[in-house]
Amino acid sequence: MNINEWKSQLKRGTLEFCILLMINKKPCYGYEIINELDTWPILAAKESTIYPLLRRLLKDGFLSSFWQETTEGLPARKYYTITAEGKAYLAAMSEEWNNLLTAIAGIRGE
Amino acid sequence: MEKVLNDYLEKVEKCLKPMPVSERVDIVREIKSEILELQSENQTAGEILERLGTPRDLAKAYIGDLLEKDTKFSWNKVLTVCAFYSVVGFSGIFIIPSLLIIAPAFAASGVLVPILAAVKMADYLFHLGIPYIDNIGIVLTGIIELNPVGEFIAALPIGILLYLAGRGAWKLLVIYCQAVSRTHEKIAA
Repeated sequence: MNINEWKSQLKRGTLEFCILLMINKKPCYGYEIINELDTWPILAAKESTIYPLLRRLLKDGFLSSFWQETTEGLPARKYYTITAEGKAYLAAMSEEWNNLLTAIAGIRGE
Repeated sequence: MEKVLNDYLEKVEKCLKPMPVSERVDIVREIKSEILELQSENQTAGEILERLGTPRDLAKAYIGDLLEKDTKFSWNKVLTVCAFYSVVGFSGIFIIPSLLIIAPAFAASGVLVPILAAVKMADYLFHLGIPYIDNIGIVLTGIIELNPVGEFIAALPIGILLYLAGRGAWKLLVIYCQAVSRTHEKIAA
């Protein structure tokens, strides 16, 4: 039994949703997103996954970004914020997600 | 920043070559920002490099995403479009002007030939004495000699043939243009 293959497929399908949910709450920078995802083993993802994904969401117009200098000698960070288009996309995703949960619950006979 | 980390960023930049400079700079700046962030958390260069993976793989992740996103673009398509415009361009140079001249010229000749033959016949029958009328005629020296009435009769089928040739050329031109625009739509789709 190889559950990992299925888990990685699940992750691939939901990572975009999770990232948008996070950025919808407040502007985030890449490392922050990776760290927060890390706290959920099923969602843990590497830089090589998250940064290109953020870039694509940026290009699709769902996110916008800005560089912000920090105090305390830390490097400038690239923050991502959600756009109106991103919010609409997220709302549509949330609806589909609920549809999926309802469907699974129905099939399980709950 | 340590040399290994700088080298790492340089290698990532190099592997990102297919991308525009502005994007490359931004990507490297973002990775550098995270490296500095990790260092501020007292991670060693070795730990940071292990975390980020090889520069090749990291860069490939960006480029792979780029390629996936642009599936509508393909070299095949570029070649098809180039071939299309070459063929249309070259053939158009000859076909369009040739047909454009042939069509009205033949059609007009088709109408003119019987009219002129009729004028000559009228001149012959009614002795009108129209100047230069002898310049009009169907001349097949040595093969056949026609009087103006015979010429007029011969001019009728010749006129019809010329007119049909003109219309045929015009139809060909229309078909050619339609084929070009249909193909163009297919390629653009």
